[in-house]
Amino acid sequence: MEKSEIQSKVFEIVAGVCETTPDQINDNTTIGDFPQWDSVGQLTILSSVEEAFEINFEPEEMMEIEDVKDIVNAVEVKL
Amino acid sequence: MESIEEQLYQNSTASPDKIALISGEAQVSYNQLWDYCLIAAYNLKSKYNLQKGDRVILSAAGNIEFVYVYFGVHLAGGICVPIDPDTNETRFGYIAESTKPVCIMGALHKVECETIPFEDAISGTDKADFHLLDMGQVADILFTTGTTGAPKGVALSFRNLQAAALNINIFIQNTADDIELLALPVSHSFGLGRVRCVLSKGGTLVMLGTFANMKKFFGEMKRCNVTGFGMVPASWGFIKKMSGKYIAKFAGQLKYIEIGSSFMPTADKELLMELLPNTRICMHYGSTEASRSAFMEFHSSNNDLLTAGRTSPNCEIKIFSPEGKEVPLGTEGEICVKGDHVTCSYWNETPERFASDFYNGYFRTGDCAIMDERGYIYLKSRIKEMINVGGKKVAPMEVEDILNTIPGVKESACIGVPDSEGVFGEVVKAFIVADESVTDEEILNQLKPNLEVYKLPVAFKRIAEIPKTSSGKIQRLSLKK
Repeated sequence: MEKSEIQSKVFEIVAGVCETTPDQINDNTTIGDFPQWDSVGQLTILSSVEEAFEINFEPEEMMEIEDVKDIVNAVEVKL
Repeated sequence: MESIEEQLYQNSTASPDKIALISGEAQVSYNQLWDYCLIAAYNLKSKYNLQKGDRVILSAAGNIEFVYVYFGVHLAGGICVPIDPDTNETRFGYIAESTKPVCIMGALHKVECETIPFEDAISGTDKADFHLLDMGQVADILFTTGTTGAPKGVALSFRNLQAAALNINIFIQNTADDIELLALPVSHSFGLGRVRCVLSKGGTLVMLGTFANMKKFFGEMKRCNVTGFGMVPASWGFIKKMSGKYIAKFAGQLKYIEIGSSFMPTADKELLMELLPNTRICMHYGSTEASRSAFMEFHSSNNDLLTAGRTSPNCEIKIFSPEGKEVPLGTEGEICVKGDHVTCSYWNETPERFASDFYNGYFRTGDCAIMDERGYIYLKSRIKEMINVGGKKVAPMEVEDILNTIPGVKESACIGVPDSEGVFGEVVKAFIVADESVTDEEILNQLKPNLEVYKLPVAFKRIAEIPKTSSGKIQRLSLKK
């Protein structure tokens, strides 16, 4: 899968959880930028990403994820 | 007995350069903290005409400026009404109507109203004079999520706040050497209580504001050499899921953890004990009205992990029958609490109404339990019906009210059920009386625009009728069986 494809899918997931549109999301959007991206939001985003890309993150991998760029990179490594 | 503010003043004179607050790169000494609190008090009185007993709504964002203004309001003689920065319009409207604040400070994200930036309250160099506070006066009003949907304003006096902090610090064994990571929301009794506990003792508070960023959580723990933190059971579910056993790397430096009162699986307690063998892991039982009335330390109570612990220092707990009579040990009844930490009143309620919340001077918690001969408390049921999703409170009626407006849904009742994923503690389950023509998915889709994600039911069950009392009150607890 192309990186741009991963990116747009991740943007869509993050936007959905943050109750906004994908054009409001960029690589540097991070935990806390939207009130919805709290710990419950982080769990929802990561489990949605796992489901969408049919991958599984290890706890050590999830611990390192704090923004959209980290999610995209983590997915890329797994595919 | 000294107010928290007087203890802050003493810390600022005894150890003026000691670091009180850390937030990112910013460090604030006790001397600076005290000065900013007095500047805030001066501005509140001179710019905003705050008079003794006036209310100020504060957006409890968990930043350094919030701490200055929180104590500043007290020093100016005012009453703080801390609220979540994400409070919705309905709840805010109720709180504002009930407290009639002279001003609203800090940004509110979901409410359209005029607010004053915290920075305005701490500008300039003029400071208020410090006068000893009237310990019986109301200091804070904290609004709970009412089971009926209407929030209740719990009033806490300076004496209540001082007594709670003292009792907690005695049990946890906090000292001035402690460096605490604060990831809890300060709009709630637990998080705000941690601020008072640490600062009254002369310790250092590292303001993080959320558990959501695990990289930052552990990063700050390492950078600031953190010795303790507070969390709710759902936070541990999150930490565990996001970082596995990584916390064990800090076993040598973590002296204490305080855990809030909601259900925590025994396996989670045992795992924490295994990972942190030398840490005082203190789980409290309490409420906004009677903060931390009982405590249990996991390692020293390892055979009693299923209990809510024993009575906190300087508190008294008795179990009463529905007739208001004390019951013998081993008999089930309502947990009732006495002590200086127990709320002095509910805001806007008559003394007569408030008196009915007590049996013979003991505050009725609404929780049922048995106390054994060693004083351990076994919680049996919560008379209250609040649902606790990952530490966030959901009033069943809030969800039901919206469910009932959906075409095809005749009636509904919501309860909390254990989260099968083991992360959120509890999640919402909805029982509905509805037409077959409307699917669960359609109902959920109609709820989505009107409710925060954590309030959405994860399961629906269709039933023929909602169980009710003869007076028509929904019997939600019977649905749990």
